[in-house]
Amino acid sequence: MSAPVKVFPAWIRRAWPSGAAFAEVKALLSGLELHTVCQSAHCPNHSECWGRRTATLMVLGNVCSRHCTYCAVHSGKPEALDQAEPDKVAEAVARLGLKHTVITSVTRDDLPDGGADHIGRCIEAIKERCPETTIEVLVQDFNGDRAAIARVLAAGAEVFSHNIETVERLHPRMRDRRFSYRGSLQVLKTARELAPERILKSALMLGCGETEADIVACLKDLLEHDCDAVSLGQYLQPTPKHHEVVSFLPPEEFQRYERIAYDLGFNFAVAGPFVRSSYRSEELLDAPFARARLSAAPSVARASSPAPQESAHEN
Amino acid sequence: MRIEVPLPSLGEEEDAVRGGTIALWHVEEGATVQEGGDLLELNTDKAAFVVSAPVSGRLVEKRVSEGDEVSVGDILCVLET
Repeated sequence: MSAPVKVFPAWIRRAWPSGAAFAEVKALLSGLELHTVCQSAHCPNHSECWGRRTATLMVLGNVCSRHCTYCAVHSGKPEALDQAEPDKVAEAVARLGLKHTVITSVTRDDLPDGGADHIGRCIEAIKERCPETTIEVLVQDFNGDRAAIARVLAAGAEVFSHNIETVERLHPRMRDRRFSYRGSLQVLKTARELAPERILKSALMLGCGETEADIVACLKDLLEHDCDAVSLGQYLQPTPKHHEVVSFLPPEEFQRYERIAYDLGFNFAVAGPFVRSSYRSEELLDAPFARARLSAAPSVARASSPAPQESAHEN
Repeated sequence: MRIEVPLPSLGEEEDAVRGGTIALWHVEEGATVQEGGDLLELNTDKAAFVVSAPVSGRLVEKRVSEGDEVSVGDILCVLET
């Protein structure tokens, strides 16, 4: 006998990946031995994004040194860095013809700089090979290391993202104990101090047991730490071993939170059941505030951020 | 011509999604489906997914039933074009 079939709300429905564009992206990334958060995190937008010939590349390997209860990426002892990865990432961006790309990574507590220089080299390799391509870099907290954050900023990605992931009350039970809610907020604040014109973004998962008051408090905290943009999406449980979904918020609820975020003062907000921090992230750069920032600082931060060696560690 | 329709692979990586549970057939045996039309729904742990027909044709045989666990590469049905 088969087990009862799980029933998802009608709006938690996507297309199973198929088609020529999907196959092409799959072959290209596999050939370059690159990892994507699309695959590693079992992302439900996998089909749509690869079908649009875009992907979120995950650098520094596919084994994370931290273990968060919502995340499908393997945790454990990470492997040695692939020194050719910056060139491979640039090759993938060039061959896919991407106008915009998101680079993220696993957390690497085993590396002295948390992998900041490697991430910086990946961004720089893309900028050199594809100077017109805009980049969002989505990073870990680097344990608050100001020099590491400065190194990433100096590489010049147009958008610097660090996800708060969940509200303060749920942080201890959802995130690895080495992350902290206040520490994540401070990453954004530090980035703002180092790069006053940079577009700063964060993301929040909903449906984990948070209340409206929790969400509003979190949005206010992000604003107080100089975050420009926020995305809110439905948390989905990757396997039965992960944190359970407490509620599925209907699309109208996400629209309501998007309005609340704008009303509170965000320059850009996007919310929806399938919104992920990297989903259609290029739309952020079309927002009027983002265009103004980019035209004010066309070569983003290469010149404006202090060199890493000039920055003291915060802790 | 009879065409076996497999569950398409999502990727070569060891951590890619490998399959799911058949939730619902959208087409009955004997009925026709257009290329790109909905064939069936499959649940992974994260969400429901609609698998579409790779070609237009008549569904002559279902190889899996609602509630069955399937893996990428498994034959879902046979279409006659």
